[in-house]
Amino acid sequence: MPDDAPLELIRSLAVIAEPPGEEQGRLTQLLDLGAPPTASEYSDVFLFQLYPYASVHVGSEGMMGGEARDRVAGFWTALGHVPPAEPDHLAALLGLYASLGQREHDVDGAERALVRESRHALLNEHLAPWVFAFLARVQELASGAYAAWASLLYEVLLSEARSFGSDASAPLPLHLRLSDDLPDPRTEGGDAWFSGLLAPVRAGMILTRADLARIAGALDLGLRAGERRYALEHLLAQDPISVLGALAAEARRQGAAHAGRSDWLGPAATFCHDRAMRAAALLEELAEQGATHLRDASEAPVGIGVEEG
Amino acid sequence: MNHKELNARVSAARDQVEARGETFYPGASRIHLAAFPPRERWNDWVELDSKSWPKRVEKRYMLVPTTCFNCESACGLLAYVDRDTLQVRKFEGNPEHPGSRGRNCAKGPATINQITDPDRILFPLKRAGERGEGKWERVSWDDALDDIAGRIRKCMQDERHEQVMYHVGRPGEDGYTERMLAAWGVDGHNSHTNVCSSGARAGYHWWMGMDRPSPDHANAKVIVLVSSHLETGHYFNPHAQRIIEGKKNGAKLIVLDTRLSNTSTHADQWLSPYPGSEAAIFLAVANWMIQEGKYDREFVRRWWNWQEYLDRIHGEPNGGFERFEELLRDTYSEYTFDFAAEESGLSAAALQTMAETISTAGTRLATHNWRSAGSGNLGGWQVARTLLLLNALLGAIATEGGTFPNSWNKFTPKPPRLPHQHPKRWNEVLWPREYPLALMEMSFLMPHLMRDQDAFVDVYFTRVYNPVWTNPDGFSWIEMLTDPKRIGQHIAMTPTWNETAYFADYVLPMGHSSERHDLTSYEQYDGQWLGFRQPVLRTARERLGERITDTRQVNPGEVWEENEFWIELTWRIDPDGTLGIRQFFESVKNPGEKMTVDEYYGWIFENSVPGLPAAAAAEGISPLEYMRRVGAFEVASKIGRVYEQRIPEEELEDVHVDGADRVYTRAPVPPSPKAPGGTKIDPDEQGRRRVGVRVNGEVLRGWPTPSGKLEFWSPTLHEWGWPELAIPTYIRSHIHRQNLDADQMPLISTFRVPVQIHTRSANAKWLDEIAHTNPLWIHPSDAARVGVAKTGDLVRVETEIGHFVLKTWITEGIRPGVVACSHHMGRWKPEGHEGQRIGMMTVALDQADSTWDLTRKKGGGPFASSDPDTLRVWWTDVGVHQNLTHAVHPDPISGMHCWHQAVRVKKAEPTDSFGDVSVDTAKSRAAYERWLATTRSADEHSPDGTRRPFWMLRPVRPERAAYDLPDREPVGA
Repeated sequence: MPDDAPLELIRSLAVIAEPPGEEQGRLTQLLDLGAPPTASEYSDVFLFQLYPYASVHVGSEGMMGGEARDRVAGFWTALGHVPPAEPDHLAALLGLYASLGQREHDVDGAERALVRESRHALLNEHLAPWVFAFLARVQELASGAYAAWASLLYEVLLSEARSFGSDASAPLPLHLRLSDDLPDPRTEGGDAWFSGLLAPVRAGMILTRADLARIAGALDLGLRAGERRYALEHLLAQDPISVLGALAAEARRQGAAHAGRSDWLGPAATFCHDRAMRAAALLEELAEQGATHLRDASEAPVGIGVEEG
Repeated sequence: MNHKELNARVSAARDQVEARGETFYPGASRIHLAAFPPRERWNDWVELDSKSWPKRVEKRYMLVPTTCFNCESACGLLAYVDRDTLQVRKFEGNPEHPGSRGRNCAKGPATINQITDPDRILFPLKRAGERGEGKWERVSWDDALDDIAGRIRKCMQDERHEQVMYHVGRPGEDGYTERMLAAWGVDGHNSHTNVCSSGARAGYHWWMGMDRPSPDHANAKVIVLVSSHLETGHYFNPHAQRIIEGKKNGAKLIVLDTRLSNTSTHADQWLSPYPGSEAAIFLAVANWMIQEGKYDREFVRRWWNWQEYLDRIHGEPNGGFERFEELLRDTYSEYTFDFAAEESGLSAAALQTMAETISTAGTRLATHNWRSAGSGNLGGWQVARTLLLLNALLGAIATEGGTFPNSWNKFTPKPPRLPHQHPKRWNEVLWPREYPLALMEMSFLMPHLMRDQDAFVDVYFTRVYNPVWTNPDGFSWIEMLTDPKRIGQHIAMTPTWNETAYFADYVLPMGHSSERHDLTSYEQYDGQWLGFRQPVLRTARERLGERITDTRQVNPGEVWEENEFWIELTWRIDPDGTLGIRQFFESVKNPGEKMTVDEYYGWIFENSVPGLPAAAAAEGISPLEYMRRVGAFEVASKIGRVYEQRIPEEELEDVHVDGADRVYTRAPVPPSPKAPGGTKIDPDEQGRRRVGVRVNGEVLRGWPTPSGKLEFWSPTLHEWGWPELAIPTYIRSHIHRQNLDADQMPLISTFRVPVQIHTRSANAKWLDEIAHTNPLWIHPSDAARVGVAKTGDLVRVETEIGHFVLKTWITEGIRPGVVACSHHMGRWKPEGHEGQRIGMMTVALDQADSTWDLTRKKGGGPFASSDPDTLRVWWTDVGVHQNLTHAVHPDPISGMHCWHQAVRVKKAEPTDSFGDVSVDTAKSRAAYERWLATTRSADEHSPDGTRRPFWMLRPVRPERAAYDLPDREPVGA
């Protein structure tokens, strides 16, 4: 029932996903999330590690915008809204979710059922396919208020998902159905493979800068400063087999986390788990083959294995 | 704590904060599903100062709403008033404005350039030398007011009311000036409309009795635009956002534009017709729909005046609807796709595709023509008439997704002290009898008509208008303005220098959009809203507790606002009230004292805007305070099909229904909060007023036309000398191929660039940097034929009265055989004159008898001023002033100037320089006489001895007796 949805709580959690200011500080304290986050913490979590946009997580390009954002914008339009500039930002989606909840409260009968179905669709199609994995990773990588925020929001959304119930026969969310698989560098080239590895929906895992730093540290490799792809290229250039192995382990770890959500998240979690496992298998296979094929397969000037020769 | 408890905690905190009138969630937050500062915070809005970056320096602002004054869209603006310095820092959109909804084009935010322009006029100036010599002295407002008022008073005392004239360019307001002129009893309202939109408007007027389209783009299934309306034009910003909404909802966009404009690029079907063939295209679409039976028969049967047509034209009063349909099929059968293809140069298949798309729209067809083809061509008014024919066939008028008449989507409130008199004397210069059906004043013919009539205007106001530059044949305007036998005193009311102000006796500095009061309401969707323009610093300082009694106290220099100026001027014209005009500018609360702007607008908001007092009361403030805080108010939405409304019983008293089912009543007109206006339909012989029409036994509101129906056949056109053009039909343009020599091409000069206004944006540095020149669009095949090798090469464009020299832009974005040049650029000041430095070139003006030459002496470029940006001006090319070389082309029916030119394009001659203009005004005169010869004067064609059909629109309507032609049996009064 709409009365059960903690709409004000969801709104306030949405606001905390915005750059910190006076209101964010006030809300953080109101929700007992600890000391208000600083601008630096915000930048580290949301600008450098984990991007709070649906399109990054469910788009085949793994970047903001593109067809995934268009699909989200289409959802806004279908509800009669003019889509905002960033319709797939987590705060915007949560704001929309809360406004639908409010609307559900304000209307009766068939219209209420329709609005409720819209809210369910928003959760199912545009939030659930990515937000739980995303929030889980925020809990791992952030500290202080943002970790507490992610934990609380995870629980709230989990409760929302459970309130709608699970339908095993429901179709897979459209974003996932339309997403491309992780390419094989041996047949599709290294360039495409790199792009796919950094696209969460294709690799089944969210690979952050912090992950790459951790791998570099563990393998005693140098981490080049730059975007994730640049850093990853240079890690692979230094020790491709070990790096591939570490990436495979990360994929398996995140895949297991997806599997843990399958009882209540259903086919979406299974889908992501399968993607992660396939990515892990591919990475391990490449490592076993000594990564030399990467050099042969890659026509793009990405540098994989170049230094080996 | 569980989620429910946390939720309750947040809700409680929110309630507590909002109870204090504050906003709980931050502004510009995504959770509001909007991106604007919430209204509750406008009084103290905090932003980081961008200039202090990377330091985080907070700036506190007071956000004060006003209305943009740059184009006629009247979009809402929010002025960001710095709370420390009380200066306006920037302008953004007002999210509370129902028309623009917070969104603006570049011209809105560029208002900041205009108010901080280092060259703007800050003090009243009086001519010191000869008119046009460029010598000025600063005078006090008092001296200027006394001088001007004295002259006007003398005109009135001498019964020379017609020698006072107010010539307006950008009105930017609704009703204030018309009220003033009515109060003065002066038939001197002169607008720019006949160089703007009266062509299309005439076409709409003769269909509906209302003269402008209001398409409901957002809900349309098919949108047809005759122009680049998605990027420029009247109401383009409010319309553009709704067109895009319509497209997102699946609407198909059809664009007719000879150029590959930005609008064309957004079209589902772009048609690039030969200019002037647009009506032929629409008729071919209509014919196909008629022949295929793809129209709404019931709508046509109920609402077209087909019975009148059958009776009067075919002598078959009882012919029946099927007989009419048969005639309709016969009448339009000649307009085949092949015919239209031949006229337009498009393929018949493309036209059929267009027709098929349109026919799927049902009642959701949104169509729009404002200027463009309606203003370019002889007979351009038939473009709108044939376009609306498509809506009329589908019943897509005043329906959701259809096209509304403007009056139903507009709200002009009734002002206090409404004048009850009408001017007694007809202004023959503005409404000459040769053009009895002209929709608006024949303003652009003024130099010629003044000469024909040996007329004299003693006091001539040009108000935000620049006819020397804007109108065709500008040198004839200079000749008139500098002739003391024609103009006694010329007062230019303008915020910035312009080509016409150089030839004035007084230049009076008037405010930009944040420096004046006005009310606006325009048809932008199916709703009615009211926008309030206000001097934002006045409002800001009043919020801080100051008392401001005169806008000059807060405006820069001695810049004034017009409303206070007119009140003061009127009091000086009639200081003791003996002329009977002061009474209309006296306080309602304190008779005998001057009315203030606060009282004027406060009265309107309290008495004439339904819903506003209640909305204000809900916030615990007065209606005036509400409008000062919010800036706009939506009066109504979803107006729907007014013509289908049943007339309530209380309006039906001693009813008489005539043979044409027109219903008359003795019941008085119910009180209305709207200002009076619109068409005037004659009463029946017993004096009952027309209240509606009878359709299928029901008395319905109908249309404000003589028949009460949609006038497919216009009895007005028929009776006033144009029977062959009384139904929607095709008139071959003056630039039709058959009218051109082999070496001539049409020149399209009507199009705008998205970031400029006609003449008032030369002082906006941001806009100038984006667009500052107007090259000649020419197709590669034409460039090759002319011998132009590359973009930038100079060409000479010869018109019928002279030539101009400009650079070329060789592009496939223009139809072969047609050239185009935007009219915005080519601003100039004569050598030795003050004037705008940014955006203007310096020129020499040389006259020898009727021959005039304009030679560019210096282009734009950097200069030192109080604004360091002016040293960064990197461009020197500010375009060419082409309108000087255009002869007047008055459409003999609508009165619209037909802008398209037949030109010869040649390689520039060795002696030619960029920007050169040469004109012979004797040839202008000859062109005027050629077009005049095509008119059908009221003297010969008036069916009732009057100068003009009384029912037709007129901004300031003289008394009925003034309509009578001299030396004819009087029929009026």
